Amino acid sequence: MRILTRLLFAVFLPHVSLAQLQELNPVTQKPSLYDSVVKIEVATQSPDYRTPWNSGRFQGGTGTGFLIGPNQILTNAHVVSNARRVLITQRGSSQKHVARVKHIAHDCDLALVELQYFGPFEDLQHMELGGMPSLESRVSAIGYPVGGERLSVTQGVVSRIDFSSYSHSRADSHLVIQIDAAINPGNSGGPVIQDGKVIGVAFQGNNQADNVGYIIPTPVVNRFLKDIEDGSYDHYMDLGITPFPLFNPAMRSAVKMTESAKGVLVANVVPEGPADGLLERGDILLSIDDNPIDSAGNIRIGTEFVDMNEIVERKFAGDKVTFQLMRDGKEMTQEITLKAFPYSRIYSIRYEEKPRYTFFAGLVFQPLDLNLFASFSFENQRLRQLFTDYVSEGLFRKHEDIVVLTRVENDRLTTHMDKFRGLVVEQVNGEKIKNLRQLHECLNQENPPEFYEIRFSGAAVPLIIPSAEVASAQARISAKVGITKPSQLD
Amino acid sequence: MKRFIFYLLLIGSTFAEPGDSVVRINSTLQNYNAAQPWEKNPPRTRKGLGVLLPEHQILTTAAMAADAIYIELKSADNTLNLPAKVVAIDYEANLALLAPDGDAGFLSDLEPAKLSEPVKPGSELSFYQLENNAESLETRGVIRSMELLSTFVPTGYFLGYVVKASMQTSDNSFTLPAFHKGQLAGILTSYNSKDQLCDVISIDIVKAFLKDNEDGSYQGFPRLGVGTTTTEDPHFRSWLKLPEDGGGLYISRVLPSGSAAKAGIEKGDVLLTVSGFQIDRRGYYTHPDYGTLFWPHLIKGASVLGQKIPIEILHQGTPKTLEVELVESPEPLLQDHGYDQAPPFLIKGGLVFQELSRGYLEAFGKDWTKRAPLNLLDVLSNPEDYEKQGRRRLVILTRVIATEATIGYDRLSSQIITSVNGQSIAGLPELAEVFKSTPSNGIHTIETDRIPYKIFLDEVLADKVDADFIQRGLPSLSRLYEVSQ
Repeated sequence: MRILTRLLFAVFLPHVSLAQLQELNPVTQKPSLYDSVVKIEVATQSPDYRTPWNSGRFQGGTGTGFLIGPNQILTNAHVVSNARRVLITQRGSSQKHVARVKHIAHDCDLALVELQYFGPFEDLQHMELGGMPSLESRVSAIGYPVGGERLSVTQGVVSRIDFSSYSHSRADSHLVIQIDAAINPGNSGGPVIQDGKVIGVAFQGNNQADNVGYIIPTPVVNRFLKDIEDGSYDHYMDLGITPFPLFNPAMRSAVKMTESAKGVLVANVVPEGPADGLLERGDILLSIDDNPIDSAGNIRIGTEFVDMNEIVERKFAGDKVTFQLMRDGKEMTQEITLKAFPYSRIYSIRYEEKPRYTFFAGLVFQPLDLNLFASFSFENQRLRQLFTDYVSEGLFRKHEDIVVLTRVENDRLTTHMDKFRGLVVEQVNGEKIKNLRQLHECLNQENPPEFYEIRFSGAAVPLIIPSAEVASAQARISAKVGITKPSQLD
Repeated sequence: MKRFIFYLLLIGSTFAEPGDSVVRINSTLQNYNAAQPWEKNPPRTRKGLGVLLPEHQILTTAAMAADAIYIELKSADNTLNLPAKVVAIDYEANLALLAPDGDAGFLSDLEPAKLSEPVKPGSELSFYQLENNAESLETRGVIRSMELLSTFVPTGYFLGYVVKASMQTSDNSFTLPAFHKGQLAGILTSYNSKDQLCDVISIDIVKAFLKDNEDGSYQGFPRLGVGTTTTEDPHFRSWLKLPEDGGGLYISRVLPSGSAAKAGIEKGDVLLTVSGFQIDRRGYYTHPDYGTLFWPHLIKGASVLGQKIPIEILHQGTPKTLEVELVESPEPLLQDHGYDQAPPFLIKGGLVFQELSRGYLEAFGKDWTKRAPLNLLDVLSNPEDYEKQGRRRLVILTRVIATEATIGYDRLSSQIITSVNGQSIAGLPELAEVFKSTPSNGIHTIETDRIPYKIFLDEVLADKVDADFIQRGLPSLSRLYEVSQ
């Protein structure tokens, strides 16, 4: 056994530089940089959107975090999402310290954790954030991945710097560094260092490729730290426009552009988005904050061509973006104030939230979002179209919530109602339904109509429930199905 | 040994020998490529049997003749053959009438089959198959039930028999004739070997099909032109103020200009009786001989076009009896099928325009209801929303071929065309007409329902690209049709 351990060590030895070997030496008195990398154990409770009244699943997992300031431990959002208990272990110690999540940003997969008692960690070094590493330069990923108990270090080179997707929310894309060292479960949230400084946070791998790991670079980390300075996280900002490349000569001539002119076409403006009323369909965007925009919607930063959204990526709610644009052949300037746009979060997986629902006489209604989509397989074409066009066509004005009948519990009252499952509620007794709360109120009136008449989008007939039978059915079905709470509206 | 016994039984049969009227049919079918409508898909062959009727006409299924480019009749012993043509075809009812294309040849030596009187559940049918060596195989079965079956076009439901029988694989078995006491009693269209059940088109539908064609022009089966929903739910019934017992079907959709619409039937009415038969809450009625049948048989099987039938409805709570004249249904925005029709298309500068059809959506594969673009599926489920806009057909930009004129548009597809150069587009011939005149700036403006909402096309460049297409082997830039006024 001992021989085997030595052999393994020998195999890994060439990858570790001398300086790091000294730091690995346990006789060193002063805490090393590695000591600032901690193991995070998390117990989670994840809601079940199929049975929203239940407590959900209790599970657990481990990840890595690192100290960046006094009682500030940085890690990934996905390490501490839906956490009910967070415990932190120092390197070389078995004592578990209670901690809590202070700030969490699901759209960039980062979180800040703090200890209940910081005392035992006070002597540790605060790891310093560096800049962007260059391509082909060597980096080391440190963490507590699967395959052993102790700290692990893997080395690799920076193989790509790209704008790519962050899988935690399933909806966001930001700057990403790809390295050729594998990132394994448990590595998540660990620092990736170069010349003693943190150049990123290890966060995801790629199932379709070998020896590929992805890290969150420091511009994204710094933005997160700046965003939370005011005590709360406000999310990334979005312009709420859809650009269309102006490559086609006929299209260019139709919008009166000269052959050499640059600029990208605005194909759609999200109603009530930050650009609504300021930009219009058919505008040609010439520059953003004085950076000229090319026909594909890219700008030049240093030597790299990047999407013009990169300018918006670095900004916060309330910040301004200035566009130079061409409208009807006239050049003009528009200043857009960025603001949070919560409707677009329908396309992100949500955490920490209790699933909303209302239970009425054997029928379960829930608002549509990505969590619900992931739990049920919806096939109704109207529902899918409402979801797809929710933001771009401004459907949130009509349907703040897209309320879906998700379950029909079997009972003598609901025998013939299964055909309505998976459809979107349009009206109740003639009243258009905008959100779950309104539906709940319509179905729980003090002086109910003789029949509740629920109409669904695209359905030929309404669902009819005689109000005289509601109370007994509600009690009977709740008891049988085990629904202890009839609704969760917030 | 077993086989020997079987033949002995066959010889011992007291019925007239129907094998003399059976001919082999070998069809070569070829349809158009949905994505590249200017060309055809590879040909396929189907082998089945047909039955000789008087005047050298041969009855078989529409599945044997739809999209056929060549139909060959062969004698039972496979020695003689004869080219055939289609005389009449009904894709919904899955029936086709063929005739020799020229001389009657070996058909003159065969004995035409007689048509059986209607059969009932419990009646025995025998199916004929032919072996490669011309031996005939007879399999007998009993009619389990009579139902409305869809045997070819998914929307076409007609009276058929479900027969319990144990069939075997043999030559030319795609379509098989069924006999009762030696007379033609139906056509077998499919066999489920797991349950040993056969779907058979009924003699009633065969007779109606043949009768319609007697005058030489085939018109088709009538339709009421309504969509219905059951009234089983007691709460729904009391909301409709229907009595707790009794039947009735809720009319949830009325096809504009159809038979029902012309007679004044409205959405929300409740269908109570058709031709004197009570319709129950699930849509069934009791046929005196056939048992429980689904109501459309009263229109499609038991009536003919031009006939006036009494229909009783509940209109806003009041019973009303109407005389409904069964008229030809108007052409729908989306056709149910596109058999034997070359799909119209128009190519302009690399933009490919087609008319939306059910066939186009089905070309998205087995899961087409999930995979086809949402905006096009919406047309299928809610055609009324699009008919209102004065369209005869829905023109879509189906794809973009990469050319000089389509730079930047390469990834556009499945866009519904709303207008071109400010003019609304009722169909593909109308689109071709609009493209004939060029706006003063030399650029066509095509407005669509999706991003980027406006596509611009340079007339001169498009002409140049189109000339290149012809040089590169595209047979034609368009396939259009005459618009009847």
